[in-house]
Amino acid sequence: MIRVRGLSKEFATSDNGGGGVLALSNIDFEVRDNEFITVIGPSGCGKTTLLRIIAGLIPYDQGEVTIYGRPVTGPGPERAMVFQNFALMPWADIMTNVSFGLEIRGTPKEQSRATAKELIKLVGLEGFEQRLPKELSGGMQQRVGLARALAVNPQILLMDEPFGSVDEQTRRLLQEVLLSLWERERKTVVFITHSMDEAVMLGDRVMLMTPRPGRVKEMIDIPLNRPRLREVEKSSTFLEVKEYLWENLKAMQLE
Amino acid sequence: MKQETAAHPAFKSRGAPRFNFSLGLRRSARENGLEILALLGGAAIWEALGWGLGLQWLPPFSRVMETLWQFVRSGAILANLGSSLWGLVVGFGLSLAFGLVLGALMGRYRSIERALDIYVHALFVCPSIVFAPIFFAIFGLSDAARIAIIVVYSTFVIVINTTAAIRTVDPSLVEMARSFGCREHQIFTRILLPASLPLVFAGIRLGMGRAVKGMINGEMLIAFVGLGALAQRYGAQFDATKVFAIAMVVLIIGLVSNWLVQMLDQRFTSWAN
Repeated sequence: MIRVRGLSKEFATSDNGGGGVLALSNIDFEVRDNEFITVIGPSGCGKTTLLRIIAGLIPYDQGEVTIYGRPVTGPGPERAMVFQNFALMPWADIMTNVSFGLEIRGTPKEQSRATAKELIKLVGLEGFEQRLPKELSGGMQQRVGLARALAVNPQILLMDEPFGSVDEQTRRLLQEVLLSLWERERKTVVFITHSMDEAVMLGDRVMLMTPRPGRVKEMIDIPLNRPRLREVEKSSTFLEVKEYLWENLKAMQLE
Repeated sequence: MKQETAAHPAFKSRGAPRFNFSLGLRRSARENGLEILALLGGAAIWEALGWGLGLQWLPPFSRVMETLWQFVRSGAILANLGSSLWGLVVGFGLSLAFGLVLGALMGRYRSIERALDIYVHALFVCPSIVFAPIFFAIFGLSDAARIAIIVVYSTFVIVINTTAAIRTVDPSLVEMARSFGCREHQIFTRILLPASLPLVFAGIRLGMGRAVKGMINGEMLIAFVGLGALAQRYGAQFDATKVFAIAMVVLIIGLVSNWLVQMLDQRFTSWAN
């Protein structure tokens, strides 16, 4: 369970000397165990900042963020992150990249290699273990990023626009990979996106955020059955929620 | 750094997807073919000008090589070469140690950089030979004096490059490492060190070149040993042929040391090509 109460975050600005920029203001929400939450909002709504706070990568000013009741003071073994730009080590082969988290956390080398090999297979990259990241396409690189996060067997997966920098076809494929992995073993997921389709397709709930300062506008339930197949995209529920998101986002852009 | 890499397109741009040693060798052989041709051309022009102009300060290439051969046979070069190279190895080793540690700290910690940057840049810009009399005063006519000169010559370019190298490491890699629970020392060894290696090597190459300069300058101006002392002596006698012969030896040291660094660079940073 992730619980965020009255969270505010201000960034100091280097120039004016006077106060900072309020990135997040009074954020309240909860993510239940094994729930898949997608977060959407216009650029500048602080969604990535929010995720980095939950990840324990940056401090926050006010409010509280707790995971299983414990306040977040830094990264923890129950969380793993997937990055928008993949953040793969370009000098290390796929095997080494995927086993990185395990080795950092002290898993014996052989065991972490075995786990990594399994995950590489699960994301469909069997045979690419010895390749360097640059030899792989963007979509394949993000499969590596996903495998690396899953390898440490986290209860919580934090995903920062993970499919934001790949093309549409690849994005759809990756969504399907993610969903099938999640169906196999449900984890708590916080998934940042700027795609309305993606937000509705993946999430149990969509968190809609407003920009400057970032606030939670609304939590929207997505009453679509799982496992979700592509067909749901044609369902009226899918289209209605998407339309609703668009109306809201459009209004924010025009403000 | 840019210019140097531009001179070796095979090393940087058309890199094989994976490190492939035999392919690398074949490529470098093809590349060296052109270089050898350029060297032969230069020698031919030198030879022609030397005979054609008949200037006292420009002996023909063949005469220089002849003198060089005599030096080698008489053992004069070998005796002095050992002394020079020893100073170079020790001096450059110290430069590497200081340069990498200081550069890594300055690159990682903004406060350390702000405190030391002015000194590093001042010492980098200042002609290092200015310190020769001071080192002479401190160390006297000893090896320590010329080693100290080598250190001031080559340390600061390594510091500056290493600082920049660490600073420009993709911050998302550091963030990734932190998210998996890396401690500060693990961030250094697992992320910053390997990620910055290509740029660090560029600095090491520049530092190597400067160390060779420092070696000769130190020997000519304070220590009076090694190749620099020979160059100094023959220079005072206005014996251009012998000075050129010594210069050839220095040139070869420069090329070989640069080649060594380049080989190491190739070995460790092939992923970046």
